[in-house]
Amino acid sequence: MGGAPLLELDNVEVVYHHVATAVQGVSLRVPERAIVALLGTNGAGKTTTLRAISGFLGGDDARVASGRITFRGEDITDRRPHEVARRGLVLVPERDKVFETLTVQENLSALVPGPRALVTRAQVFDYFPALAERRRQLAGYLSGGERQMLALASALLCQPSLLLVDELSLGLGPVIVETLMTLVRRLRDELGLTVLLVEQNAAAALAIADAGYVIEQGRIVYDGSVERLLAHEDIREFYLGVGHRADRKRYTDVKQYRRRRRWF
Amino acid sequence: MVQTLATTLVVASLYALLGAGYVLVYRASRVLNLAQGDLLTLGGYFLFAAAAAFPGAPAVSLPLAAALSALTGVLVYLVLMRPMAGHPVFAAVLVTVTLGILLRAAIVFVFTDRTRHPLQNLALTNPPRPLPGGAVVSTFDLVMIATATLLFVALFLFLRLSPLGIQMRAAGERSLLASQRGINFHGVFALAWALAAFAGGLAGIVYSSNVRLEPSLDVLGLRAFAVALVGGLDSLAGVIPAAILVAAIEVLSIRYGNPLLSDVSPFLCLLVMLLIRPWGLFGTKEELERV
Amino acid sequence: MGLGGGYFKTSHAADLSLVDTHLRKTALAILVIVLLTLPRFASGFVLDLASQAALAAVGALALNVLTGLAGQISLGHAGFLAAGAFTTAALVERGVVSPPVTLAATAIVGGVLGLAVGIPSLRLRGLYLALGTLAMHHVVLYVAGEMQARAGGNTGFTIPPPRLAGFVLKGTVAWYYALVAAAAVVLLLSVNLQRSRAGRAFMAIRDRDLAAASVGIDVARYKLAAFVWSSVITALAGTLFAWQRGFVSVEAFGFFVAVEYIAMIIIGGMGTALGAVLGAAFVTLLPYGIDAAVATLSPGAAEYYVFPAKFGAFGLLMALFLIFEPLGLVGIWRRVRNWFFLWPFRHRPLRASS
Repeated sequence: MGGAPLLELDNVEVVYHHVATAVQGVSLRVPERAIVALLGTNGAGKTTTLRAISGFLGGDDARVASGRITFRGEDITDRRPHEVARRGLVLVPERDKVFETLTVQENLSALVPGPRALVTRAQVFDYFPALAERRRQLAGYLSGGERQMLALASALLCQPSLLLVDELSLGLGPVIVETLMTLVRRLRDELGLTVLLVEQNAAAALAIADAGYVIEQGRIVYDGSVERLLAHEDIREFYLGVGHRADRKRYTDVKQYRRRRRWF
Repeated sequence: MVQTLATTLVVASLYALLGAGYVLVYRASRVLNLAQGDLLTLGGYFLFAAAAAFPGAPAVSLPLAAALSALTGVLVYLVLMRPMAGHPVFAAVLVTVTLGILLRAAIVFVFTDRTRHPLQNLALTNPPRPLPGGAVVSTFDLVMIATATLLFVALFLFLRLSPLGIQMRAAGERSLLASQRGINFHGVFALAWALAAFAGGLAGIVYSSNVRLEPSLDVLGLRAFAVALVGGLDSLAGVIPAAILVAAIEVLSIRYGNPLLSDVSPFLCLLVMLLIRPWGLFGTKEELERV
Repeated sequence: MGLGGGYFKTSHAADLSLVDTHLRKTALAILVIVLLTLPRFASGFVLDLASQAALAAVGALALNVLTGLAGQISLGHAGFLAAGAFTTAALVERGVVSPPVTLAATAIVGGVLGLAVGIPSLRLRGLYLALGTLAMHHVVLYVAGEMQARAGGNTGFTIPPPRLAGFVLKGTVAWYYALVAAAAVVLLLSVNLQRSRAGRAFMAIRDRDLAAASVGIDVARYKLAAFVWSSVITALAGTLFAWQRGFVSVEAFGFFVAVEYIAMIIIGGMGTALGAVLGAAFVTLLPYGIDAAVATLSPGAAEYYVFPAKFGAFGLLMALFLIFEPLGLVGIWRRVRNWFFLWPFRHRPLRASS
């Protein structure tokens, strides 16, 4: 996949409350029509990175302190969320992903689509037959898997060029996770959608991804194609749960404290 | 008997207009706008000023006052409520209290606290209208009922059927998700506040033509917030039965009880409702957990 | 907001102490000396201001425990103040003027009212609780108004100054010391409450009461305790208010007074005793500051301009604090302190993983 990437982060640094750095020096590139995975444990900085991309940070008194985020060549670093969404960069969030007091049908109308024409509503119901059966049901009463489908469906109706998916597999059983992941790959294959997949479930993500980045403690520590990731010892050990290393690092080996005189 | 019914309907219409304002703001900003009563007062003073500027031309003054009220709602949202977006709910409620203080101060500053009667400058009169059964209401009493009815019908159609209305409901529930779906919720919320201020302004315009205009009219707003809570803070439909109920209790307690008691009766209704059914007659129960 | 490790306390005594660093100890000593000697070199007007601020601080500290610490939003604080003042008035009407009896009666009435107002808090949270307390406030004022109307003295009740064992508490200087002492006592109680088991329970309830219940905290009991503590202290403050002013009338306890108290804890900084005191001082001094500003900027301005100007300035300031610095004056202080701590860094850099 050559050519200019659809989404590019260049040395992005995000700071919370003016004092705490959450991610630092994060650079990543998502080429067109690719599925790229962003892997990491809790607190590594994945959601912060996604929030920075989709323009959400202001809510937590956070900001992008340095670096640039470019989408289709345009700098979107400090754009507001609805502006980012209307340019075709749509986020499927981890929590609060549907409007619970609206019906499924109304959920699919509560959006302002971007310029490109990707899918029609009829096509969306083809991809998600379970939703077609529950058009008039209040979204608050859908099951976890159906909610995730509704979230994906309404994200699709925003006519995205790039879909940011935050923790697709969270709280779902393995069968439905596999169904959804396969669906995501199908959407890429049939519609030409680009996907940035943020996941703790590394195995599920790497099953459909083309390339990936690993983020730890706010920094990207490894990246490459899926083959390269799957071959790496540490990734196999810590993220995929296979492999064995005898010389593990212990927590106590890491010195963290330093005495300081307190003045105030 | 008919008179009691008629008076109840008139009072209920006033409370319904204010209650609609409370519900619209609640669904947008998740706060109770404790300045809604001052928006009513402001509407009355807009009418007074417009009538003084264009005497004898109610076709100009009335829409102008209503438009100015709506515009005030937009300004209030942009200047005061939008910055409070991430802050805790009770801080936002306090900002509405400060808004009330500021509006009241501005009104007294510009108009002093003399009682006014805008009708004089409008070249309109308020003749009494007899009803069957021996009751008498004034013309503007009937205008109040008509205004409330029309506004509610319009609001229902807007929120249920129009795309912008669905977006407003969506943004009111989850503003973050709405913006992720391309909805500019600031614009939508500004519209909600404009509608709320418009409703309050209409109430003020009709009330000040009907009765009188003075800065202390904001107490009407305090009584009406009981209506919003009894009906359910997030339910526009609930405002109507709640308004009738609270108005009926108030009117009956004036007739058969003590006038001071009628002042406090909406609060007693409110307390009873909070103890037995806090989410109101038609509110969503889950709303309670979200605060 | 914690600034992280590196500073460790090495003895139990150090852990218990309220002032630990040298700078704080020195500042406290200076403050005590100034407060004790103020009557020497300050005018009666300044002393009166200080007394008012001290009394406001008592109410603000009580509200801080309820709202800032336990998270139970109360818009009806003026009602408790009124309860105290009107209990005093009722006792005076019946010829009872002994201070201990009055204080005891006020405490009981305040406690009962606190329980009554607190019962809705077992079912309600946040906005709904705030509105419930607001409604209660109106009911209390209605009762007080009825009492005032019925007693015939439609403008209010006159209260004689308290006398105990031949000593009469009156005069600016005496009341200054009395009120500052009262404020100091309540401050000490509040700070200790914050560090005690009950205080921690309050904070747990404030942050997430469902989780607090799941770790064994009796949420109902502590919520009611917070209301009762706050209402008793405020009612006692109401008695002090009645004694000091010598006059009690229902107009002095309107909704605006409740707003003032909330403003005190917000402007000062919610959840901290220091914030309550700072906020109380700020809000008490504000109208006089505005008077002074108006006098210098446009002397001879008509009275009916000055009142809305004061009112409006108060509202404006409160709005500014709510929008720009919701953590209040204490928040501003903490930002200044962080700046010094982190200098020369603007923010904490990430440590390189080893």
